[in-house]
Amino acid sequence: MRISYNWLKEHVELPMPAADLSQHLLQLGFEVSEHVRTGAQFTGVVTAKVVSKDKHPNADKLSVCVVDDGTQKWNVVCGAPNVEAGQTVAFARIGAVLPGGFKIAKAKLRGVESQGMICSNKELGLGGDHSGILVLDPATPIGEDFAKGLPCDDILEVEITPNRPDCLSHRGLARELAAFFRLSLKRLPAHAPAGSGECFPIEISAPQGCGRYRARLLEGVTVGPSPDWLKTKLASIGQRSINNVVDATNYILHDMGQPLHAFDADSLKGGRIVVRWAKAGETLKALDGVEYKLGEQLLIIADAERPVAIAGVMGGAETGVTEKTKRILLESAYFTPGVIRRATQGLRLRSDSSYRFERGVDREAVDEASERATEIMLGSGGGKVSTARDEHPGKEERPAIVVTAARLNAILGSEFPAASVESALNAFAPVEKDGEALKLTPPSWRGDLATAWDLAEEVGRMLGYNNIPSKLPSAALKPARALPAQQVCLRCAQRLADLGLSEALNYDFVSEKLLARAGIPLEGVARLANPVSEDFALMRPSLLIGLLQSAALNANRGASGVRLFEIGKTYRQTGDKLEEGWRVAGLLYGPAAEPHWRGGARALDYFDAKGTVADLLRGLPGLEWRAFDAKSPLLHPAASQTVALPQGVLGSVGRLHPAVARAWELEREEVLAFELDLEPLFELPATRPAFVPFSPFPGIRRDLSLLLGREVSYAALSETVRAAKAADLRGVELLDVFSGAGVPEGKQSLTVRLFFGRDDRTLRDAEVAAAVELVVAELSRRHGAALRS
Amino acid sequence: MEQVTRASWESAYAEVGDALKTADTSKLKPEELESFRVRFVGRNGSLTALLKSLKDLSVEERRVLGPKAQELKEKLDEAVASRQRQLAAEADLAELSQSGLDVTRPAQAPTRGNLHPLTQTLQEMGRILAHMGYSWAEGPLADTDWYNFEALNFPPEHPARDMHDTFYLKGIPLLLRTHTSTVQIRSMESQRPPLRIMCPGRVFRHEEIDASHSICFHQLEGLVVDKGISFADLKGTLSTFLQKLLGPQTQTRFRPSFFPFVEPGTEVDVKCFLCGGPGCPACKHTGWIEILGAGVVHPNVFKAVGYDPEVWSGFAFGIGIERVAMLRLGVRDLRLFYENDLRFLRQFDENLV
Repeated sequence: MRISYNWLKEHVELPMPAADLSQHLLQLGFEVSEHVRTGAQFTGVVTAKVVSKDKHPNADKLSVCVVDDGTQKWNVVCGAPNVEAGQTVAFARIGAVLPGGFKIAKAKLRGVESQGMICSNKELGLGGDHSGILVLDPATPIGEDFAKGLPCDDILEVEITPNRPDCLSHRGLARELAAFFRLSLKRLPAHAPAGSGECFPIEISAPQGCGRYRARLLEGVTVGPSPDWLKTKLASIGQRSINNVVDATNYILHDMGQPLHAFDADSLKGGRIVVRWAKAGETLKALDGVEYKLGEQLLIIADAERPVAIAGVMGGAETGVTEKTKRILLESAYFTPGVIRRATQGLRLRSDSSYRFERGVDREAVDEASERATEIMLGSGGGKVSTARDEHPGKEERPAIVVTAARLNAILGSEFPAASVESALNAFAPVEKDGEALKLTPPSWRGDLATAWDLAEEVGRMLGYNNIPSKLPSAALKPARALPAQQVCLRCAQRLADLGLSEALNYDFVSEKLLARAGIPLEGVARLANPVSEDFALMRPSLLIGLLQSAALNANRGASGVRLFEIGKTYRQTGDKLEEGWRVAGLLYGPAAEPHWRGGARALDYFDAKGTVADLLRGLPGLEWRAFDAKSPLLHPAASQTVALPQGVLGSVGRLHPAVARAWELEREEVLAFELDLEPLFELPATRPAFVPFSPFPGIRRDLSLLLGREVSYAALSETVRAAKAADLRGVELLDVFSGAGVPEGKQSLTVRLFFGRDDRTLRDAEVAAAVELVVAELSRRHGAALRS
Repeated sequence: MEQVTRASWESAYAEVGDALKTADTSKLKPEELESFRVRFVGRNGSLTALLKSLKDLSVEERRVLGPKAQELKEKLDEAVASRQRQLAAEADLAELSQSGLDVTRPAQAPTRGNLHPLTQTLQEMGRILAHMGYSWAEGPLADTDWYNFEALNFPPEHPARDMHDTFYLKGIPLLLRTHTSTVQIRSMESQRPPLRIMCPGRVFRHEEIDASHSICFHQLEGLVVDKGISFADLKGTLSTFLQKLLGPQTQTRFRPSFFPFVEPGTEVDVKCFLCGGPGCPACKHTGWIEILGAGVVHPNVFKAVGYDPEVWSGFAFGIGIERVAMLRLGVRDLRLFYENDLRFLRQFDENLV
């Protein structure tokens, strides 16, 4: 809300300069987002007369003038095309300071000395035309300080929180400052005549929506330009002047916070006002020119036949005040905030009026606002006024709040003396004292005050939050403990970072286009009702879409390799239910290491991704690698595997589906990806590694080079090795895979290393040889494997 | 073979002793040292023969002469070993003077990744609050109107809802939470006071994306409920928290503000740690940076979860993770956090010290 410092001072005699106001308002809870000084931003500029003008000897576009500032004559070089002898001008003397700190000094311009400057509007920071110098009224006396003649003000943009509608006006903020500085608020008495003659009858048939409606009928008012004071005032806060009637209502809105509406009374049919709910099918063309459909939830002002205004929001076009208007019905009302709120939400229509009504206006100020506006209209447009009609069905007594200083101090944790507390409260409402108890009836404009907590805040504001001590709550209640979910997520992130992946964060939203690109069906994908754009319309069903976007972005920007992971939520809709769950996903693309002088790095492949996942999940009991369950359309069906725990499937790791890689233009090298559900991990009991003793006796290794069919998987082979139940076999490892020269077509050569050992003694060669023989026999029996010589 | 007598043995002994005494091993090359050693203690070495012939003497003679022979052997061993040490040191010296390694070439570090700067910031806040006795709490990102608004004292038609531009789901009666304060309600519903919780997480606002606005960002929520908790506890807690987060010199300022779920409410500013007060673009030339919102838990919130506001009191606070990260890391554009350019992500390693 825009506030003028000068206007504010009409309500309260502020002792502090405008520059300090922001600071004080901030302490009261109002942020000032902008502070603009208007008026003269210069010194040393006087009114002066151009005595003569001659052409500059060395420049076509310059002239040399003699300027009389009332005390002395000066030679001035001027570049303005419009300067003429005889003009009265604004003259910056030597030593003058113009806006922006620009100082006027003696200067030589093309060989001619210039002893000052004839100013343009722009040079003085006054805006407007700057094609030439500012030419003043010839009657202006010369030698006067030009700054003195200019209106000067400070305009503040103040942010008013929704709980303080009473501060949405100059008087409201003045009242707040008056309370803070214990100043008295000036009374601006209304002088509207009591009036004579009847106003239109008013019928409030929807009292739930309208707590008070006051109207006066003004006759013979001339609608025309506003008086200058009114125009200036509205202009100071950036409001356009329309006519004396509309400006009067607008002025009262910004002065008192009470919205008013002026109807052309002759256009109201049947000479009556009805405040009622709209009927189905009714419409109204409002002042903005739009035809609105009115629903039954909507409160309207009607005449005998039809709606003439959307109550509290906007008047109708047909009944608005125009130059031809002779009779005016002036409305001043209190509408129920929730009702107006519903209207603005439903119609998507807002106004300065609705902004105040939906937050709550001061019901008790309805009459004063009406009187003051009437006075301005009569004063500027002539005419006479009827008596007032004032329907007040919603009049209610506000309950008093009873507190003690001790209670308020307990909420604040402060030790303010009882007298200070009492006087702080007294600053905005009279306090009745009954022993320790302080009884206070909130003023009509303070709808936000109802409880001891509300009063505690008032005391805190009045006495200063910085006068409340700081302390720490005593006794930690319980030792802090991480919930499994966050703990697991953070550990996952740390492990993956340690494994060389960097953490990415993407929005939870994806587009239909990207899902199609990934081959993910739309079924079960939740959708936003009000997305900001099509790009962010769906709730992501997979983290990999975001990672693909990030990978493509990095590849396009010249990254040699991309290794990213993300931990976040994915969503799935079933009927009108939404399931959200934590997942982790990773994407690997490019060389296994940055290029280095010691040698080129190989490209990443499936086993890097598998290794990453295996290491991420290391230590989980019962972890199992299974054949790919083909649930993710993003992965290559024949180059992927699925990881599972006894509690359920976690997800899959694999080569990216070639079509997907193509769609994201990640084709230079293989793209590897994984996505795992983290939710099952949150259910696992926390465990920590326990010490497993190792044998003090050296173990024995035996390497076997085997020739066997290509169809035999390593999983089957290692399973067979174990199944052979060779004595003291401790482990098996794959050392080498070879197919090529020397290996027959359809065969492969695998070299495996067997580890043998005992905890109680060293093994003998003969024992190991027997065990190896057993293993080889079993491999031969099951897979037709032969030892290569 | 000639009969060995004491006299013949002693003469042979003297011979070997003289040969040893006159020998100079200090200049011998490695192979010369070896033949020197073999001359005495090789299979046919003179000292070997002397030692062997001891067995032909009487027990008494052996007892006297044996140690003398041993002494000779030790002398020899020591002479050889000493020259060997010398030779090894000489070889080392040659090797150490020129390894042929250009150690100024760039190193090769193992590949590692980075945690996202927001995760790092969040983790640090979590660590600080954990030390202050806060437990982690959690809630869903898609939540009901009740948890996001109504229980937090935003009545259905209240204009305070305008402060939160909200995303709604289509065909599902849920919204995307606009603040982590939802977790206050969920935590209080599921446990009895006293409690002290923190909840970091994502929140969503329906806004145009630009350098300072995002449709999704992160907050950390804190809530303390106990008997006798006051605004002063809030002040002390948040000053301590901010000092631990931003440095011990951090100055805080508490000013009144409005959030429907607290009363009294406050916004907390810290003295601009970039300019230190005189004003700079980061603090919009005010000298102060708004960093979090907080307040004493509103009695209506307690009523919504069935706590008696006359018995229990508490305070809550919410801090924007992006805001803190931006200030601490000098990031000016919020969008960088969600773009995932590796040149951005890989910059923010926590310093060792």
